[in-house]
Amino acid sequence: MPYFRITLLRSAIGLPAKSTGVLKALGLRKRMTTVYHPVSQDVAGQIMRVKELVDVTEVETALTKEEMKALRRPDPGFYIERRASEIRDLAEEAPRW
Amino acid sequence: MLAQSFRRSLLETRGVLPPTFLLPFSARLSTVPSAAEQSSIPESLVNSKTNTSLPTKDSRTTSRITSPPIQSTLKSPNPAITQPPPFPTPLPETVKTLLPLLSSQPPYYLTAHIHGRPYLLTAGDTLRLPFRMSNVQPGDTLRLNRATHIGSRDYTLSAPAAIKGTRDGPKKTFYLDERLFICRATVLGTESEPMRVKEKTKRRMRHIRKVKSKHRFTVLRITELDVKSVGDVEGKE
Repeated sequence: MPYFRITLLRSAIGLPAKSTGVLKALGLRKRMTTVYHPVSQDVAGQIMRVKELVDVTEVETALTKEEMKALRRPDPGFYIERRASEIRDLAEEAPRW
Repeated sequence: MLAQSFRRSLLETRGVLPPTFLLPFSARLSTVPSAAEQSSIPESLVNSKTNTSLPTKDSRTTSRITSPPIQSTLKSPNPAITQPPPFPTPLPETVKTLLPLLSSQPPYYLTAHIHGRPYLLTAGDTLRLPFRMSNVQPGDTLRLNRATHIGSRDYTLSAPAAIKGTRDGPKKTFYLDERLFICRATVLGTESEPMRVKEKTKRRMRHIRKVKSKHRFTVLRITELDVKSVGDVEGKE
C-alpha cells in the first residue's frame, strides 16, 4: 500500500489560518517533521493546499517515528568484550593452592 | 636500525627530496580496489616485512598509491564495508596487497567512532568521553569496532567518505572492515566536572532560581591497538 511521505520544509507563519489548519490536520507541527499518510484523494487535496510548504514523495512503506529515529541513530561503535565482574568471579572460582 | 634511521635522516634533507606532492607522508590505501594501482607495486615492496625506510627510497611508487579513487568510492560504495554480512566477504585485492605495508610500521593510529563521533586514538591513550557510558563498570574491557582510518607514520587505510544526510535518507558513514584491526579499551572509571551553578531570573521577581549541574564522564584507556595481517583475517574465515 503506497504512502505519501510529507515533510514540512517551510512554516506557515504569516499565511492564512487555513494553511495552519491543514498542516495541523496532516500532523505537521514544526519544520522538518515527516509524516506518512496513505495515498488517497483526501490527502492529495490537503497536500495541494500547502504544496508550497511541503516536500512530498510516494513510498511503499510507512515508517513510525521510532523507526525514523532508529535510522538516524549512529552505530555505538563498541561492545563490551569482558566485564570486570566476570574476571572477579573467575578469580574466586579458581582453586587456591 | 641505527644505520637505517641515519640514512633516512640524510635522505630527508630538503635538497635531496622530490617535490612535496611526491612525498609519501600522505600515502593512502583504499578499501576499494582500483585496477591501475596494483600492478605498479614491485614484489620486493609487498613482501618486505620490516623495511621501514622503504617509502623514502621509493617515493615515486608510494606516491602512486596515494592517488586514492575517492570519486569512485563515493559513486559505488561497497556495502560490505559497513554492514558485515553473516558470511565472510573476501578482502579487496588492494587491501590484501597493501595491508602488509601498513602492518610493518607498528605504532598505529586509529579514528574510532563511538556513537557517531570520531576519536583519534593510539595505544596507551587515555580517552575522556564527553558523556557517561551507561552499563559499564571500571575494569570492563570494551572492543572498539567502528573505525574510519587506520594509519602509521607513512600509510593510512581509510574508508570511503561518508554520505551526507538528506531528506531522503540519514547520513551514511562507511567504516573499515572490523576484521582488519583490534582495538581494546579498558574502562578506568568516571570523572566529573566541578559543580556548575546557573542563576535563573524572572522579571519582577526577587527570587533567583539556581540550577545546579554536574556532569560525569567515562574515562577509557586504549590498551591494545593492532592491525591484523592478511593471513589472520583470511584464516578466520
